[in-house]
Amino acid sequence: MTTITALGLVLLGLMVLVGGKQGWMAFLSFLLNFGFLYLTILLIALQVPAVWVAVGSGLVVLAVTIFMGEDDLQVALPAFWTACLVAMIMLLVIIGVEHGVQVQGFGLEDSDDLEGMSLTIGVPFLSVTIAAAFLATLGAIAEAAMAVAAGLAEILQKHPTLPDQRLFLNGLAIGRQIIGTTLNTLFFGFVGGLLALLIWFFGLHYTWGAVLNNKIFVHELTLVLISFLAVIVTVPTTALVMIRRRHV
Amino acid sequence: MKKWLTKRRRWLLVFLGLMGLGLWWFTGHDQRLYQPPLARVEAVHTLNTTRTQDQFENQDQEVTQRLRLRLLNGRQAGKTFEINNQYVKSMGLNQAYRVGDEVFLTQLQTAHRPYRATLGDRKRDRAVIMLFWLVTALLLLTLGRAGGFALLSVLINSVGLGLAIELDLKFQSWNAFWLFASLAVLFAFSSLSLVLGWSKKMVATLVATFLGTATAVGISYLLLQMTGERGVYYESMQYVTQIPRPLFLAETLLGSLGAVMDEATDIIATLFELTTLNPAIGVRELFLSGRNVGKSIMGPLVNVLFLIFMADTFPSALLYLKNGNSLAYTFNMNMSLGMVQSLVSGIGIVLTVPLVSCFAALLLGRRKVK
Repeated sequence: MTTITALGLVLLGLMVLVGGKQGWMAFLSFLLNFGFLYLTILLIALQVPAVWVAVGSGLVVLAVTIFMGEDDLQVALPAFWTACLVAMIMLLVIIGVEHGVQVQGFGLEDSDDLEGMSLTIGVPFLSVTIAAAFLATLGAIAEAAMAVAAGLAEILQKHPTLPDQRLFLNGLAIGRQIIGTTLNTLFFGFVGGLLALLIWFFGLHYTWGAVLNNKIFVHELTLVLISFLAVIVTVPTTALVMIRRRHV
Repeated sequence: MKKWLTKRRRWLLVFLGLMGLGLWWFTGHDQRLYQPPLARVEAVHTLNTTRTQDQFENQDQEVTQRLRLRLLNGRQAGKTFEINNQYVKSMGLNQAYRVGDEVFLTQLQTAHRPYRATLGDRKRDRAVIMLFWLVTALLLLTLGRAGGFALLSVLINSVGLGLAIELDLKFQSWNAFWLFASLAVLFAFSSLSLVLGWSKKMVATLVATFLGTATAVGISYLLLQMTGERGVYYESMQYVTQIPRPLFLAETLLGSLGAVMDEATDIIATLFELTTLNPAIGVRELFLSGRNVGKSIMGPLVNVLFLIFMADTFPSALLYLKNGNSLAYTFNMNMSLGMVQSLVSGIGIVLTVPLVSCFAALLLGRRKVK
């Protein structure tokens, strides 16, 4: 048995043990998301425009994560619409930022890994980077939207006549509670993939100026900042979507 | 909306606006602060474009540009010269330049004409700093002080990380895993005290976070040993300058720490709220509600980390596929480590649910008996 199979089986067992049916769903959503990500790369490799593929599979990933993670439609539906809306806003932001920083593809530090590889592959790396950044933020958007929507749905259930403005402020209050830990989740998540590179920079005594303009570092840093931005935008947007849905 | 725009907010808005303008101006005029030579592209014309086809039948175009550069710093500031820039249209490594782009030069040789230089990194500080400013501004404007504290805890953690890396480099022979593991303890401590403040709640969350993360990494380590690390390709780890295995474990530990903290905070906050609403609530009831909260967060949280770990591998996975590698080999060389990281974090996230619930239920239950 490979290690990945063993770890996967343990995760499945634990999830079912702890969460019952919901745990089973959580594991399934994880597997489905993996499948869709892999399919995304395959389609990009087959010359389908990367950004469009990412938008398509992104919507599926959001639907899988939200609807399989939350049974209550009063929470899942507004969370899903919010997540779609924020994802589209973020897509525009990401396109702007990635065109500005130009960090597509590989850097000088990747030279060892690129040895013997043909780089003339005919797929624009800028759009691949946009697609990857877009997909990386989706989990954070879905999680934040679900948390705020769940809190607001509970408040609405207890106080169905609450004025819109109060509901909006309540949404921000929930946002305040989750923002600290959510930013840390994202920060550590990214550090978990970045540690080796940072050790490289420190070990070779890169100057601050060099790091701040380095292709790979700037790529990672923009990913962190973009996902922060996504979470911040998600909080008020969820409240607005909930308010709009009340009046429809 | 009128209430939202309080006097303090108005000042904050003015302050943030001025800061934005200031940073924009500064990052446009900081060229002389850089040691390595910097130049601005003043004119571009394309010399030739040739179609290429590699041995895997990928079609691309190779372009040669003639760039006129003006040096922006150093003793030769203001001088102009021309060089060629070659790039592939898909821009995997080298890039196209447009008028107005600023770029660092390496091996600049200005002893005699024609000047020679190699194009290095593009100047990216303005984009990065303005993005950072945007995040800060939106965070403070929508979430106020809580947003500020959140950002502060991230900044403090970044400084801590920097110090730990310095230490790691000083003690090369020492085990990187234990160094970063002890760092994780400090990280959790500083983040939670900033986010929650000093309280019993914070201590409970902290202990639960340790238990969850430590158990997950412990179990995973055992599994890695038992399966002989089959299908784990440490050699595919990027940018490695020291022994990869402890470094990978350290990365995995740090990666899951934030998510476990996130989840523990949510569960414990709910349980504290429940005890204030109903002080007579029993241990068993508390445990079950904790598990209920955890059940619905764990799925999305696992996916948050999974998407972060996986999206990072996109460009190089694509390159492998386009270079005629099989699906399985592409997965092994690019995604196996990210997959292991996601699974270990997942185990941590799931294990934390009963651990935190049990721990908090006992803690709150005992206090009630006294």
